[in-house]
Amino acid sequence: MKIELSNVTLNIQQQCLINGATLRIGAGEKVVLRGPSGCGKSSLLKCIIGALPLDSGTIRVDDTELSAETTALIRKSIAFIGQEPVLGADRVRDALLLPFTYKAHRHLQPDEQTVTKYLKTLHLSSDILDKPCARISGGEKQRIAIARALLLDKTIFLTDEITSALDPESKAAVMQELFESDITLLSVSHDSDWIERCSRVITMKDAQLKEETDAG
Amino acid sequence: MLVDLSIPSTISIFALLLIPVGIFVYLGLGLVRETLLSAVRMAVQLMLVGLYLKYIFHLNNIWVNLLWVLVMMTAANSSILGKSGLKRRLFFWRSLAGVAISTLVVSGWFILVAIRPDPLYDARYVIPITGMILGNCQRSNVLSLERFFSGIRRNETEFMTYLMLGASLREAVRPYLRDSVKAAVNPSISTMATMGIVSLPGMMTGQILGGAMPVEAIKYQVGIMICIFTSMVIAAIVNILLSLPIAFDEYQRLKTDVFT
Repeated sequence: MKIELSNVTLNIQQQCLINGATLRIGAGEKVVLRGPSGCGKSSLLKCIIGALPLDSGTIRVDDTELSAETTALIRKSIAFIGQEPVLGADRVRDALLLPFTYKAHRHLQPDEQTVTKYLKTLHLSSDILDKPCARISGGEKQRIAIARALLLDKTIFLTDEITSALDPESKAAVMQELFESDITLLSVSHDSDWIERCSRVITMKDAQLKEETDAG
Repeated sequence: MLVDLSIPSTISIFALLLIPVGIFVYLGLGLVRETLLSAVRMAVQLMLVGLYLKYIFHLNNIWVNLLWVLVMMTAANSSILGKSGLKRRLFFWRSLAGVAISTLVVSGWFILVAIRPDPLYDARYVIPITGMILGNCQRSNVLSLERFFSGIRRNETEFMTYLMLGASLREAVRPYLRDSVKAAVNPSISTMATMGIVSLPGMMTGQILGGAMPVEAIKYQVGIMICIFTSMVIAAIVNILLSLPIAFDEYQRLKTDVFT
C-alpha cells in the first residue's frame, strides 16, 4: 500500500510544524524520517492516521483520501507504534488479543499456534503470554505491539523510535521481520543500523521535507 | 414530637463554627471567608426553600410539583457542568436529558410503584425524594464526567491506539467509561456497606426525629439508598454516552473546545 502527502501543512499552537510537505511512498518501500527532536516528525505520522487535523493539503493511502468517512478504513490498514507502546490490558495475552475483542476483528481471532509463531519470530517466548504487562521490559512491550500489528495483518507500519529500548538481538529480529516483508514502512529513527536498512531517508527541517539521495 | 429549635438555640449551633474557623485561622488555610459564606448561603437557601415548600405542599398541584422538579434538575445540571469543567453551552441539553432520565426513572419507580402515595404526585413525597436522588446524582455525575474526559485527554496516545487497533468510538472509550463509573459509585458502595454502623443516614434520622417509628424510617432509608445508587449508575453512563457525539469530531478526536 502506498502513502501520498500533497502540500500538507500543520500548525500546532500557532507553530508551523509542517509547511506544504509533499511526499510519495510506494508500496513496500522502507522510509525513515530524520530531524531534530520536536521538529514535527511524530506529528507527521499522526497526521497520516487522522490523529491531528491538517491546516491544508491532502493525504492519500492507496488512493483513498483521508477524510471523516475514510478514517476508519485507512486506520484498519495502518499500525502505529510509538516509543512507549500502549498495550491496553493487564496481561500480555489480553493485550495481544485486545483488537480481536472489537467488533471489527472478532471473526479474525488467531489460534494459539499463530500467536506463538509471531512471538517466536520476534524472539519472545510464549511464557510471556501469562505475564502482567507491568512486569515486562520496554523492549518486550515494543515487540508485543509489533506482534499484535502482525497478527492484524497490517500493511503499513508507522513507527516512532521503536528500537530505542531493544537489545541488539531483539533489534535484529524486529528489523528482519519488518524489512524483509512486503509492508510499507514509514519510520522515525535516529538508529544508524535502522537508517542504513531503509531505502529512502527523508530529513525534516524548518517544517520542510527533504530527500537524502545518498541513502544506502 | 420534634422539639422545636428556638432562634437562640439555632444561633448556638452556628457558634460551633467558631471551632473550625479558629483552626483555619491557626493553620493559615485561608478558608474562613469561604466557610462563613457557604454557611450563610446554606441557611438562607434552606430558609427560602422552606418557605417555597410550605406553599408547594399546600398547593399540591401536579404541574407546580413537576415545575419544581424541573427547576431542581436544571440547577443540578448547571452545577454538574460547571464543576466538571465542561462548556455549559455545548453540553447543557444533553446533560439535562441524562440527569432527567436517571432521576425520573428511579424516583418515578420509588414513588409510583413502591410508595404509591395518595395522590401519586403528592409534593411531600415527590419533592424530597427527587431532591435526594438528584443531589447524589449531581455528585456522581461531576466525578464521572470529569474522570472520563480528563482520562481521555491525559491518555491521548492510548486512546488513539485503541482506535488504530480497530475499536469503534464506543469501544475505544470503554476503558475510560469503566474508570469513571467506578470512581462515581465507589464512595456509595462503601457508604452502603457501613451504613448503620459507621453512620446513621440523614433521611432515617430526620424521620425518627419527626416522630416516625424506626422500622418505618429504616424501610424508607433502604429504599432511598438503592434508588440513589441505581440512579447514580444510570446517570453516569447515560450522561457520558449522550455527550459522545458532541465531544468528539468526525475523526473520533476529542475536541479541545469542549473544556472551559
